[in-house]
Amino acid sequence: MTRRVVVTGVGMVTPLGADAEETWSNVCAGRSGVGPVTRFDASDLPVTFAAEVVDVAPHPADGGDLKLRLAATALEEALAQSGPVSGPGTGVCLGSEIGRPALDVLANAMRDNRAPSRADLERMDPAAPTRLVASMAGATGPQSTVSTACTSSSQAVGEGVLKIRRGDADAMIVGGVDVLVDAIMITGFAKLGALSERNDDPQRASRPFDSDRDGFVLGEGAGILILEDRDRALARGATILAEISGYGCSCNAYRITDSPPDGRGAHQSMQAALDDAGLEPEAIGYINAHGTSTPMNDPSEARGIHRTFASPVPVSSTKSSMGHLVAACGAVEAILCVLAIRDQRLPPTINLARPDASCDLDHVANAARDASVTHAMTNAFGFGGSNGSLVVSKHA
Amino acid sequence: MPDVAVTGVGLCTPLGEFPHHGDRTALEHRDDLVGLPHTTAASVASIDLRPWLKRRKDRKLMARPSQLALAAAGPALREWRGSRDALGLYVGVGREPGDDGESAAALIAAHRDGRVDEVAVAGPCRDVYPPLLPLKTLPNMALAHISIHLDVRGENGAWCGGAAAGMTALRAAIWSIHEGRCDAALVVASDTWVSAGAVRDLLRASGGAPIESPGEAGVALLVESLASASARKAAVFARIGTARGGAPVNDPTRHRDRVGHCHAADAMMAVAFCIGRRAPSAWVEAREGSQPAVGVSVAVDDGHACYDSGSRGDDRGGF
Repeated sequence: MTRRVVVTGVGMVTPLGADAEETWSNVCAGRSGVGPVTRFDASDLPVTFAAEVVDVAPHPADGGDLKLRLAATALEEALAQSGPVSGPGTGVCLGSEIGRPALDVLANAMRDNRAPSRADLERMDPAAPTRLVASMAGATGPQSTVSTACTSSSQAVGEGVLKIRRGDADAMIVGGVDVLVDAIMITGFAKLGALSERNDDPQRASRPFDSDRDGFVLGEGAGILILEDRDRALARGATILAEISGYGCSCNAYRITDSPPDGRGAHQSMQAALDDAGLEPEAIGYINAHGTSTPMNDPSEARGIHRTFASPVPVSSTKSSMGHLVAACGAVEAILCVLAIRDQRLPPTINLARPDASCDLDHVANAARDASVTHAMTNAFGFGGSNGSLVVSKHA
Repeated sequence: MPDVAVTGVGLCTPLGEFPHHGDRTALEHRDDLVGLPHTTAASVASIDLRPWLKRRKDRKLMARPSQLALAAAGPALREWRGSRDALGLYVGVGREPGDDGESAAALIAAHRDGRVDEVAVAGPCRDVYPPLLPLKTLPNMALAHISIHLDVRGENGAWCGGAAAGMTALRAAIWSIHEGRCDAALVVASDTWVSAGAVRDLLRASGGAPIESPGEAGVALLVESLASASARKAAVFARIGTARGGAPVNDPTRHRDRVGHCHAADAMMAVAFCIGRRAPSAWVEAREGSQPAVGVSVAVDDGHACYDSGSRGDDRGGF
């Protein structure tokens, strides 16, 4: 019999809060975490704003690295809620992209034609957050790092679910982290034409599904979930927050940066997650969309939703509030689904003034909506064409 | 869990498509690898992607690990005629791909008085910043290019994190076939360390300890259930599984004196060597640091097909 996988702890650090509850409260209140860049002088860059993560205190284990700090902070929150999970039965799977040493360090090294230090190299390893989290938790089970751009942490959660079902682990610490707000990344993404350039109105720049959207807003953050075999969680008296009942993924096989207009890859991913959960489409009461606010993604996703769901399903994109957390977005948005089911409340898409006709959905627009939700779905679609969908269910 | 069948093999190595033949080595003296103590390395002389590219110009989007991966994946998938929607794609990758100095000009242009100057980033740095660089340096680009050019649309994943990446991908594929999450799966591992920058990073990361001669490779396997392979009358080259049983541990470093140290592709390379040399029974595993080992069993018996005409039963040394 297939093991059921439940969530017993969540933690996150985002542009809207230093923990899960603060983030959730601000998302539901329709607040924006986007603003002018404060970490450095961005006034001459093509894009001068971003969704910078809130200040969090340095962590003894972070070695001065913000990415590791966010992962450590989110982990501690999640473990405080779940209670300790450790040992050989506990694994770790995080979604992460390449880390970057401080730009000053990198530029100095390149100018002088010498290698970055060993510590810088270790921080640049995408697996660095995975190693830190395993070490902090004392998790000595299977470890892996998924790196599929914006789909990374959605797939990391999915892999955690599969590892527990397969008996490779009894508990998995899963999630993702990303920190991309620096001058070079803003310049690079802007040169690709992917970022909103609404410099005069940053808080309204991220506007998924709106007719006036012009790109995504670079964000950063971390989200960690503690997944456990349901029987084990019940046996130890843990509080079960939700169940991850389905996981599916697909490749677009289309283009590196664009999604297919017919939404086939998104549809395939969502359908696979429904099949994995053993649910019919009408069982889903809320979709947390990938909803990046780019001209290409949103109609493609909307088309994929229409192909999957015959009847309207409430949809929102919380990237409107906190920007695009890239490798961390899948985990953070899965946590928002956990909290939506807990509170029976759907977070809104803010800045949705004029819904695009090509994104004709049941939008939870601009204000949170009370709703009866038993099953929610969250989507993550990445540069390169990897798609991931998770079904989060009320525990019963 | 029953074993799965290997029905496709593709290799892009410094010794070509069949590196297990004979006892050749591709290691050679390299003056260009600054700081390498023994100055030998093995690299692929040329990578022919023409049979696999939908658009030739896309090659310029590909960092070398993506090129190695696609060059290996194409041949492995050659005989597959089934659904591409139900074909999984699992990729293990190594170091940050692509950026072997391409961003150096931009960073140096942004450099003022020992720090990155944001005004310079917006000016001279922006002017010389390679616009396609973010699309080359993401670790999932090998997966993306294989998916696009070979039309693979099923379940997928890209794992990074050193030596265990390829094995993690392979085990995930085996499980997914067993669970019916895909009909077949293309598993690819790719890595390259034969540039001055990579060698410099290796030396620094080793903390002064000697490093092995670096190499590079793309390795691909097509795996499917034995029933599926039988139904479509596919040639089966080997069986692989996740249960160790009594199989002896194969030394995944045995090929390094021939094709160099390929890191994320090493263990998959060892699997390919087992298949090429028709290992009756082996267990190949990889370990990253102090993490638990990740491994697969490989078995080739007399009923299995040779995946190349050069494989002979008398070439089983060490298995």
